Amino acid sequence: MKYILLMTGTKAGVDTCRAWSPSDVQAHFKFLMRLNKELSESGELVANEPLAAPDEARVVRAGKDGTPVTDGVFPESKEFLLGYWMVDVESPERAYQIAARLSAGPGPGGVPTNMPIEVRQMMSRKTDEPA
Amino acid sequence: MKYILMMTGTKAQFNWYASWPKEDLQAQFEFMHAFNKELKDSGVLVATEGLAFPDQARIVRAGRDGEPLTDGVFPESKEFLAGYWIIEAGSPEQAYKIAARASAAPGPGGQPSNMPIEVRPVMSAPPPEML
Repeated sequence: MKYILLMTGTKAGVDTCRAWSPSDVQAHFKFLMRLNKELSESGELVANEPLAAPDEARVVRAGKDGTPVTDGVFPESKEFLLGYWMVDVESPERAYQIAARLSAGPGPGGVPTNMPIEVRQMMSRKTDEPA
Repeated sequence: MKYILMMTGTKAQFNWYASWPKEDLQAQFEFMHAFNKELKDSGVLVATEGLAFPDQARIVRAGRDGEPLTDGVFPESKEFLAGYWIIEAGSPEQAYKIAARASAAPGPGGQPSNMPIEVRPVMSAPPPEML
C-alpha cells in the first residue's frame, strides 16, 4: 500500500526554520539524508520531493477565456506543503512509524522538532491510466 | 525546472464533490484522463497522484520514546491535498498556463470549476550549504 507523508508549515513556521543556526540546519538535513537512504535501501521509498519556499507559491485559476489568473497573497494561517515522502509499506502502522521518525528529526540544539506529519493513503490507479 | 501543481480542498468541499451527479463526475474523470495523456505525450508530465479522502488522513507526531502518536481530528478550515501533478516547464508562465487548464476542468453541469491550483517549484536537492 502506498502512503504519502506530508510535511506542512505556515510562512511563520518556515521563517522560524530559516533562523536556525547553520549547524542545526546541517544536522537536520543530515538526519533526512540518512532516513532517505535507509528507506531506499529497505525498498520502502517511492518518491521524495522538497518544495520551494512559500514565497514562491502562486495560486492559479482559469480566467474567463481560460488564461491563467495568478495570486500570491495567502492568509497567514495557510499551511504550505514543504515536502513529501511517498512510501510503499505493508500497513498504516508502518507508515505512522516512518512519520514519527520524521517528526523526531532534530531541531535547534538537537532537540526533536515533534513537527506534525500528515499521513494518507494514495488512491490506487487503474493500470491503463497514464503516468 | 520542475513545478508542482496542487489541488486542495476542505472536508466540506470534498463532500460536495462526492455529491456531484454521476455524469458530471464522469465528465471530470474524462477531462483529467485526456489532460494527463496530453501532458504525458508532450513530455511535460513527471508524475501525478491522487490522494485518498481526508477522512483517512492522520496527523502523526513522535511521542517521547519516538513512538507514533496519531490524531484524526482536524479544524474544519483545514485544506487537504487532493492530488498533484509534477511537470517540467521552461518558465513559471508555462506552469501557470497548465495550472489554468486544470482549473478549467468541468464541474457540475459542465461549467468550468475554476478551482484554485497552487503552483510552486520543486527543489531538486537541498542547497549545498545545508549539506
